[in-house]
Amino acid sequence: MSESHTNLLQQYHSEKKSAKTTAELEALRVKYLGKKGEITQQLKGLGKLPPDERKARGAEINKIKTEIQESLETSMRDLALKEQEAKLQAEKPDHSLPGLFNSPGTLHPVDRVAQEIADIFLSMGFFMAEGPEIEEEYYNFEALNVPSHHPAREMQDTFYLESGQVLRTQTSPVQIRTMEMLQPPLKMIGLGKVFRRDSDITHSPMFHQMEGLVVGEQISMSDLKGTLIMFVENMFGKRPYRFRPSYFPFTEPSAEMDIQCIFCEGKGCKVCKGTGWMEVLGCGMVNPRVFEAVKYDTEKYTGFAFGMGIERIAMLRYGINDIRLLFNSDIRFLRQF
Amino acid sequence: MKILLSWLKDYIDINETPEKIADALNMAGLEVEAVIQPGKNLKQVVVGKILNKGPHPDADKLSLCSVDVNRGEPLQIVCGATNMKEGDKVPVAMIGAKLPSGFEISRAKIRGIESFGMMCSRKELGISEEHAGLYILPESAEVGEDIVKVLGMDEVIFEISITPNRGDALSHLGIARELSAIFNLPLHREPLGNDEGEGRIDDEISVEIHEDQLCPRYGARVVKNVKVGPSPEWLRDRLEKIGIRSINNVVDVTNYIMLDIGHPMHAFDLARIKGRKIIVRSAKSDEKMTTLDEQKRNLDPSMLVIADSEAPVALAGVMGGFESSVTEETKDILLEAASFDPVCVRKTAKRLAMMSESSYRFERGTNIDNIPIALNEAAKLLKNIAGATPVKGIFDAYPKQEILRQVRVRTKRVNKIIGINLTASQIETYLLRLKLETRKDGEDIIVSVPPYRHDLEMEADLIEEVARMYGYNNIPETLPAITSVLKLPSPLQKLENRIKQHLVSIGFNQILTYSFVPAGISESFREKKPLSLKNPLSEEQATMRTSLKWGMYDALRRNILNDEFNLRFFEMGRVFQPVAGEISEEHSRICLGFSGAANPNDWRRSQEPFDLFVVKGIIQNIGNLFGLKLKFTPGSCSLFHPAMQMEVTCEKTVVGQFGQLHPQFLDNRKMPKHIFIAELDLGLLADKNVAIPRMVAIPEFPAIRRDLALMVPKSANHRDIVKIIADEGRKLLEDHHLFDIYQGKGIEDGFRSMAYSLTFRDNAKTLTDEEIQPIIDKIVARLAKELNVNLR
Ligand SMILES: [Zn+2]
Repeated sequence: MSESHTNLLQQYHSEKKSAKTTAELEALRVKYLGKKGEITQQLKGLGKLPPDERKARGAEINKIKTEIQESLETSMRDLALKEQEAKLQAEKPDHSLPGLFNSPGTLHPVDRVAQEIADIFLSMGFFMAEGPEIEEEYYNFEALNVPSHHPAREMQDTFYLESGQVLRTQTSPVQIRTMEMLQPPLKMIGLGKVFRRDSDITHSPMFHQMEGLVVGEQISMSDLKGTLIMFVENMFGKRPYRFRPSYFPFTEPSAEMDIQCIFCEGKGCKVCKGTGWMEVLGCGMVNPRVFEAVKYDTEKYTGFAFGMGIERIAMLRYGINDIRLLFNSDIRFLRQF
Repeated sequence: MKILLSWLKDYIDINETPEKIADALNMAGLEVEAVIQPGKNLKQVVVGKILNKGPHPDADKLSLCSVDVNRGEPLQIVCGATNMKEGDKVPVAMIGAKLPSGFEISRAKIRGIESFGMMCSRKELGISEEHAGLYILPESAEVGEDIVKVLGMDEVIFEISITPNRGDALSHLGIARELSAIFNLPLHREPLGNDEGEGRIDDEISVEIHEDQLCPRYGARVVKNVKVGPSPEWLRDRLEKIGIRSINNVVDVTNYIMLDIGHPMHAFDLARIKGRKIIVRSAKSDEKMTTLDEQKRNLDPSMLVIADSEAPVALAGVMGGFESSVTEETKDILLEAASFDPVCVRKTAKRLAMMSESSYRFERGTNIDNIPIALNEAAKLLKNIAGATPVKGIFDAYPKQEILRQVRVRTKRVNKIIGINLTASQIETYLLRLKLETRKDGEDIIVSVPPYRHDLEMEADLIEEVARMYGYNNIPETLPAITSVLKLPSPLQKLENRIKQHLVSIGFNQILTYSFVPAGISESFREKKPLSLKNPLSEEQATMRTSLKWGMYDALRRNILNDEFNLRFFEMGRVFQPVAGEISEEHSRICLGFSGAANPNDWRRSQEPFDLFVVKGIIQNIGNLFGLKLKFTPGSCSLFHPAMQMEVTCEKTVVGQFGQLHPQFLDNRKMPKHIFIAELDLGLLADKNVAIPRMVAIPEFPAIRRDLALMVPKSANHRDIVKIIADEGRKLLEDHHLFDIYQGKGIEDGFRSMAYSLTFRDNAKTLTDEEIQPIIDKIVARLAKELNVNLR
């Protein structure tokens, strides 16, 4: 290679080294390969050379041209990538800004617990029934073996309407209405609002109950126990339990079910009043008088029923200490669930 | 009800711990709410006698005493109290003693002098709040004796809650009877009084029962020359521990009998019974009587009274009369023990709002056989403690002797109901433990129910008794071997659950408000005249809601007052609407409440408040969940801003409405402006048939999209524009939607720019612009002609 060509290449390479932007590279391309560029000029000058010299020199210039061209292209690509990268980096936002979303809301704790309880029984093959909240006295009391002027009415202080109807004091009338409609075998739960004239930190004039009823030809107290233990274990985890005799006009025998206190594990605390036990539900074998009221054959069919207060369970589950919080609609309370 | 362990021991030799007794009662269905043992936390406190009292050498306010506790050398004790003198007897907590406060006594050096115990005040013993120096004991207290015993603090008191069916357990005898069955121990008692005495009862009094349905038995006994005065210590002590104030020996005796065997009694001043005659009759229409509590009562014929020959002297089973009551001047007494109809007593007590210990027991049923026992026992006690002379005999009016109820108990049935396998003999053993009389009839047992067990009416009741004695916790655990009839959730239940999930996922908080609302809420919150409660707890909860809107407004309001402005709430629940006459209907509703910013978390947008269209969109989307096409038309609810409200219709039924609360209403209550409330009837929505979707083939041919930017005058609205677009687009128009509205700079006043995107497609071939253009031209022409809407 001629000395001038070696110098030209050297000069190109040193100039390329100092080129920092694609624009500078472009200027280099024009300087060497542009219409008036040095290589182009030299190629144009070939014609003036004698033919034997022209060929060798032409080949040499073309080789230099190719080298510069390739070198420029490579550098151009590299730089373009870098520039692109820098440009993208410059777009970097404040990553710590919060995401854009509508935060999900909350189910009411009572509804949430009610659904958990219902899910357990629905999985066990129960169906869900409903009934009116303004109820006939007959369905709320007489059909459930609570005659008027019976002291058992004192267990539930009742709201009356001018019509003589009552706000149901329990969800048990749903049992009666279901049995009037369907023949056994049946396993039902009823869920809903109930009302009693009572108001303090553990009593609300309106609260929710879950009611259950199983009727068939061979239903016994041992079935009652097995079913409710299965419920309690799924709701509160495996823990000691006990059944105590009690009294409800619509069941006979009647019982109350306690589980070991979930706060003190049975050692005794304020919540369980030192007993180590917490009452979770009332239950019993359906009183034959109730079957008589719905015209079921009392010899053929036996059954059990149970009922529990949802608020109470919600309060235990979430550590809520005042029942009135549940009905105050305070967003600072609601958004915790 | 309070029961004393020491009193129970009159009937039963029970040596179990109080805890074990309480547990056994609990497991037998007699709920023990508390076991009170006043002396339980008082150990090693004894009676001490102060032998010597001198000053503390280094402290003016302390004294140094030498105290004899009958345990060898007297104790040296430093004391800060000043009310004692040499020779006084005081409670001494010895080293190692534990006081109710938890304080433990140990050897201590007080100002350099060793002290070997502590002399105690009433407060330190936990028997009083007063802290006035040391408790100076009576001279009779024996030195060295345990203070718990000296002060009678070794009593165990059970606080028992008796279910309404167990009237028989409302006494010490009743509880002892249960314990005797549970622990299988014999029941005994001291010999009761008899009907001996002087004279003849017939000469003193006669009894006539005019209402033998309401008073099946009336027993009267007379005691003479009573010295009315304070009761002896033992009687006062028992009553006071139960929480009954001692009045005088006569009243105390009647109370004592009631607590002892459960039979309420009454004592009259015999001299004030006119005509020496007792008549049990209904009250007359305008009759009046002053009761023991000195209240004048208006009586009516539904009430049963005890009268003398002139006027009522007691309200049967409820309360005695003031006129005939025992006073300090009383000499001769007429004792009453009777049996009254539970319903009659209850009605009277309720009507006059005067529940008493007596009415409480009569309502739950007493033991008719106890009548002579109670009278004789009372006469004996009055003889012993009030120097009275009983008159011989009882005037026992008992027209129709009660026959014991017989109940047949079938072994098979017992086992079927409980799920166990007992023999007839085993069952009989359990029943015998309960003091029931039994007779076998093959595999059946015939039970004669004693007159005090009013709860044992039928076989099921006796099965419970067997189960109780067998022990509920010994019953096996099985699962029902039945498959229930199938009943799927109703369309309404499904709809409710789906909407709940949806609303929670888009940021709504569910609330629950009371079904009753104040009587005085604004008319505009009501849809109909509400049903009123006859006996509300307060005016705030006096009427049944006819709509959920008031509860929602109230919930929003209360949060706003707490400076919580950004709210989206929903409530699902029933409303109650009167229809014809006294019948009411319940409707399931959903109510939504909106306040503050529509997108409070969106920092890219300005914090725009909720507006009509955000709310409309949310409502529309609830319809979309179920494929229901909701229609919106201007509403006319007075609660809402007249222009900012809509009525929602689904298949021609009005299903609800929503809007911004009326600015005037909000202004008057100083509430912020942008509060929206929506309410929909879920029952009506659930009634709509939701078609099962049928697949439509995915289009094969491409669509053509055209945008129209229109200048729309105020007079034209979206619905009219869309109608023309749809009219002309016909079958080829696949979709059209509004994608922009602009008003302001560059747009003439009174106009808005509205941009629509139209999609055309032919399912049979590829459309060409040439086919579309005439349609667009027609649309544009009609828009201009009919609505004065022109291309921009
Ligand atoms: Zn506990």
